[in-house]
Amino acid sequence: MWTALLAVVRKEFRQAFRDKRIAFMLLAAPVIQMTILGYAVDLEVDRIPTVICDQDLTSQSRDLGAAFVAEGTFRRVATVRDPAAASRLLEQGTAAVALMIPVGFARDYARQIPIDVQVLVDGTDPNRAQVAMNASAQFLAERAVGVSLQRLSQAVAAGGAVRSLPQQRLTPRILYNPRLKSAIFMVPGVAVTVLLVITTIVTAMGIARERELGTMEQIMVTPLRPAVLLLGKCLPFAIIGLVDVGTLLAVGSYLFGVPIRGSLLVVAASSILFLFSTLGTGIFISTVSRSQQQAILGGFFFLMPAILLGGFMTPIENMPAWIRPLTYLDPVRYFLEILRGCLLKGSGFADLWRQFLALALFGVSIMTLSVLRFRNRLG
Amino acid sequence: MSGPTGAGPVIEVRDLTKRFGAFTAVDRVGFEVHAGEILGYLGANGAGKSTTIRMLCGLLAPTAGTALVAGVDVSRHPQKVKRLIGYMSQRFSLYLDLSAAENLDFFGGAQGLAGRRLRARSQAVLEQVGLLAHRDTRTGDLPGGWRQRLALACAILHEPHLLFLDEPTAGVDPVSRRSFWQLVRGLVRAGTTVLVTTHYMDEAEYCDRVGLMVDGRLAALDTPAALKARLVPGRLFDVHGPAAGSRGRLAAIAGIQHVEPFGAGFHVRMADPSVGAGDLAGRLDAAGFPGAVIDDLEPSLEEVFLEVVEGWPAPANAPEVPA
Repeated sequence: MWTALLAVVRKEFRQAFRDKRIAFMLLAAPVIQMTILGYAVDLEVDRIPTVICDQDLTSQSRDLGAAFVAEGTFRRVATVRDPAAASRLLEQGTAAVALMIPVGFARDYARQIPIDVQVLVDGTDPNRAQVAMNASAQFLAERAVGVSLQRLSQAVAAGGAVRSLPQQRLTPRILYNPRLKSAIFMVPGVAVTVLLVITTIVTAMGIARERELGTMEQIMVTPLRPAVLLLGKCLPFAIIGLVDVGTLLAVGSYLFGVPIRGSLLVVAASSILFLFSTLGTGIFISTVSRSQQQAILGGFFFLMPAILLGGFMTPIENMPAWIRPLTYLDPVRYFLEILRGCLLKGSGFADLWRQFLALALFGVSIMTLSVLRFRNRLG
Repeated sequence: MSGPTGAGPVIEVRDLTKRFGAFTAVDRVGFEVHAGEILGYLGANGAGKSTTIRMLCGLLAPTAGTALVAGVDVSRHPQKVKRLIGYMSQRFSLYLDLSAAENLDFFGGAQGLAGRRLRARSQAVLEQVGLLAHRDTRTGDLPGGWRQRLALACAILHEPHLLFLDEPTAGVDPVSRRSFWQLVRGLVRAGTTVLVTTHYMDEAEYCDRVGLMVDGRLAALDTPAALKARLVPGRLFDVHGPAAGSRGRLAAIAGIQHVEPFGAGFHVRMADPSVGAGDLAGRLDAAGFPGAVIDDLEPSLEEVFLEVVEGWPAPANAPEVPA
């Protein structure tokens, strides 16, 4: 049995690395994909192009404009006086935000009467618009509180009565990814996706190809058992997949500063369980396809929903209620939760055992089903 | 790796039947193959030749009947049979992206060969089929006839005493076919028993015995000479020349049993084996066909095959055999 297994493994490695394009797809492409996706799928929003429309032209209005862009979320692209000019810049797309400081800003400020400062936001990119609204609202609110406190303390100093006002302030503190860098969140997702695609498609196509070429029949007249054949076909890609996971983690932590807070043992164990699911699915797809073409199509039929429902791009909590139960059937979901939990939060087996259990259940079921189907199709 | 020793048949098939749904691909077939024999299997496409071989190799489970291959019951121990036989299928099932030696590595490993023994056997079979110089050539770059020899090398790597060849020479040029058959005959001389299916009548002449399959039934099985004597009795002549005549008018001549158009002339069979070419010339003359050129002809298996197929009742069910 070991002789036969070794023969299959050696043959699979030879075939995989004989074709330079396949070797490239297996080893180099994941890193390239992650680098591109890591930079491109950057959900952080800062340096939003902003036009300051200062109709007041006083030192106070200039001061407000400067403070608005000081923090970095907004980047000043122009300062204009005419509101029509500001609208034009928004329409052209040169600016995405316009801060409209009205005439009489300094006068009303001195008179201590409420001032309406308008912020115009380009809503074509909802994510950026959301960030711009929150940031500008927060900026103006903080500035208003600052002014009030200043006035109050002046009044107190003059009158000598109250020294401070009781206030309630909300101070959010973001854990694990304090700067909310999206790359840190994305990298585990990319690693999962790459592993999923490689192992599922390559396995499904590899078996379909043997059937297409007729080599499957030739193998079946040797004493080589179907289970040994499958094991030998899966093992090389499991090893390549694990090498990929390691490489992706290294690149992720070097390029994007992804922390590795948890144990690598958790990463390795969950990767192996996940590989059970993907290789099993690959074999299953091969048992329902007659050609390599059908295997590719079948692969994508599985991959697209698996990736989308796994919570790679969009949080599962944001999905419609009727879709959410489906995500429990998706091994990607569990592996992603384990990887993010382990890498970003340092979670261990004690925190993640539910996900491990689900992943193991899925993997063992699909693998058993596939091996049985594969054997029946031969018989 | 025990071979068939002593007397008795190497393959014993009784009432072997395979049904795919309502279609009977192989219908109560029975025969024996003796050690050191080449048994040829002739038949039209879909006649059940490949299905029979696939059952004997343990690839397909029989619906009914028994098949003992080297003493092993195929339906009970298909896995055991696989150790004892070599099999080469219609398409040369090799990995085209691997070299000749790498293909041998894999199929040898699948048969349980490893290490020094595998290396020695690879070397030996490559030499046997004349591909030693091309051991590191990518199989896809080898010409068709060479690939087929490599496929044979893969099938005999584990030294089986029994070799199943399913249309091994389909689509191969005549020169390569000839050299392939020389290899097969060499193996038989060394003691291997061969069961081969083919479409080529000239190849069937190489066989010790020939079985004819029609619609899933084994219609005839005997040595080529005996088949000819029994199924194509009388004497055969080739009639051609300026006044060879028409088929219908020739057939009307007394003593002529059968007329088959062949090339520019006809193959004419006389019922009485004692009738010579001179007698036939006289009868043709008398019937108004002077000057026809008449040659004595050895009947070929093609005549046997056509005779059997034409004499066979119309098929009750004859869809294609599922692949």
